[in-house]
Amino acid sequence: MSAIAHFVAITCYIGAAALAATPFARPVGAPVRGVAAVLGIGIVAHAVALMAYVHRVGQLPLTGLGPALSFAGFVLAVTLLIVELVARDVSLTLVAAPLAAVPVTFANVIGMAPSVAPTGARGLWLVAHIAPSFFGIAAFATAAAAGCMYLLERRELKSRRFGAIFRFFPPLDTLDRVNHVAAVAGWLGLTLGVVLAITYSVTYRELSVPKIIWAMGSWLAVSGIALGRIAGGWQARRAALYSTVSFAAVLLLYVAFRVVESNAGGRFL
Amino acid sequence: MAVIVVGVSHHGAPLEVRERLTFSPREIVAVLDRLSSDGDTTEGVVLSTCNRTELYLVEREQDASAAAWALLSEKLGGDASAYGYVRRDREAAAHLFRVASGMDSMVVGEAQIHGQVRDAWEMSRPRSGAVLNRLFQSALLTGGRVRSETELGHGALSVGSAAVQLARKIFGTLAGRRAMVLGAGEMAELALACVLEEGVQAAIVANRTFERAQVLAERYGAVAAHYEDAWPELANVDLLLCSTASPHAIVDVERIRAAVSKRGDRPLCILDIALPRDVDPAVAELDNVYLYDLDDLRGVVSANRDRRQKELPAAESIIAEEVETYWQWVAGLAAVPVVTQLREEMHRVREREVAAALQKLRELTPAQRDVVEQLGRSLTNKFLHEPSVRLRAAAANGRGLGVVDAARYLFGLDAGVEATNESGKAEQDTTKGKSTT
Repeated sequence: MSAIAHFVAITCYIGAAALAATPFARPVGAPVRGVAAVLGIGIVAHAVALMAYVHRVGQLPLTGLGPALSFAGFVLAVTLLIVELVARDVSLTLVAAPLAAVPVTFANVIGMAPSVAPTGARGLWLVAHIAPSFFGIAAFATAAAAGCMYLLERRELKSRRFGAIFRFFPPLDTLDRVNHVAAVAGWLGLTLGVVLAITYSVTYRELSVPKIIWAMGSWLAVSGIALGRIAGGWQARRAALYSTVSFAAVLLLYVAFRVVESNAGGRFL
Repeated sequence: MAVIVVGVSHHGAPLEVRERLTFSPREIVAVLDRLSSDGDTTEGVVLSTCNRTELYLVEREQDASAAAWALLSEKLGGDASAYGYVRRDREAAAHLFRVASGMDSMVVGEAQIHGQVRDAWEMSRPRSGAVLNRLFQSALLTGGRVRSETELGHGALSVGSAAVQLARKIFGTLAGRRAMVLGAGEMAELALACVLEEGVQAAIVANRTFERAQVLAERYGAVAAHYEDAWPELANVDLLLCSTASPHAIVDVERIRAAVSKRGDRPLCILDIALPRDVDPAVAELDNVYLYDLDDLRGVVSANRDRRQKELPAAESIIAEEVETYWQWVAGLAAVPVVTQLREEMHRVREREVAAALQKLRELTPAQRDVVEQLGRSLTNKFLHEPSVRLRAAAANGRGLGVVDAARYLFGLDAGVEATNESGKAEQDTTKGKSTT
């Protein structure tokens, strides 16, 4: 059940991205309602998959690499849909929907196996720090997606080529605002997540250096952009570039820790 | 019954002819009354815009185009038919659908005509009936489909609107933004009017001759400035429009770099519509500065025009589809009087034959007589059911009119235009009801 629902969700995320890309194949605007509907169906299917997992395993999909990745993809898809409904523009789907589909696919390839999760108060602490962290990462990813699109469109505008990106991407100002809101939301989520994680680690004496490095790295990256935007007056290209590059760096750092830890026989997130 | 359009448009009639053939809203009903009282038409709608005057008519039995041309020629004071055209039935429907979609407009894809078609229909409502109500409803629907399903109406087609399109691509909306116009000539005025229309909050007009800047600024509620006073303001504006008559570039890299350094990361859009150019092209290299000159704007216009042309086949296929749907409905309408007449004739035969039979069966009780009458009614209805359904279906699926004629011949019916008109009137209220929702 969980696998089928996951498959439907992945198909819908890719389908939504493909629908959002129709303007590049044919000179008509993307079907806004269609994209939102397909994305919505994907989210419902994904929710069903996660609920089926919870029903089967008896714990939230927050521990274990597969379940956590699937949950991260789910949060990103939900964030994306909310941002698009507020901005009334679906072009962000082009970048963010595949970004949601990839971890879900990976989760299903490696298997939705839970790790041994603590129970009782400790379990609640764990959930309390993972949930806002996931939200923070999803918002950060959204900021990066908007930043990436900003850079692509800026390039087209600067080079005076008025192609499909010029016609179908939202205005630079809209992408800049999405980047701003998502970066601040990401900072709030990750700050809360990191504070709760530190409290959890200290309380239960569970310290993992790679996890701390990665969490702090992610927090510093998103804090940099949020601070830059709020206090430093960053916007436009600088903010877009920083969020794209820093998110890519956070992803790379994650992959690097995964490889190193698994070679050493350990386990990283 | 035939739907025809008689008219002139910018394709064949010069402006002075079109001007003289324009009907004011007050004249429209009188014009349609005249055509109707001559006995030539049963319904009519007048579409009169600056680019076309067209009479959409539903003919009675004879050709109504002669009467329409006579009326137009009288208004023109000469032979109007030399400038115009007549389209019939499907072609007339397709023509209106193209008009409502902006495909027949001077600027292909323009949206204004859609509203003009709606207004024309509204003004002619007292004299339009089921056939034209449905035709205009379908035309408006088709126009909407063409606009939403193709890119026919997208993209700017003038340098001014291309400038606005580019600026919008950077700022989203221009409402609340600040603009500066360099120059006080005709092009500068056009540019200023254009950005103010977009909701630009504050505008500064700077010119070498301050008095000219002042005149223009006063006319548009802007602020006039000397060049020297204007340069520091560059740090605060979002949009710079340059249109001076200077023989060399007056906005150089250093000037813009100085302004940009004070602006933080805020983008600055510079639209240089002067010839020769007012802005050093090297300015485009600066970060967060978007510089476009006349060639760029013309490039946008040209690309938009090409794209609209490429969309024509897609728009044509929507029109073909909608014409087919409309014509099926019209053909279905033609079957209604034949079916009605066939049923009436058959029931008359039944009544006659049942009466004759009952005359011979005087010993029957009232209950038995009822059974015989019921039998007659039931048999007639059963015999008529299939032909009625098939006639309507055949008429609607395009094979129709021949089948309807065959039915008339086979059953000895003489369903005339009057009957059609009656059925049309019966549907008129329903159609009007729908169209107002």
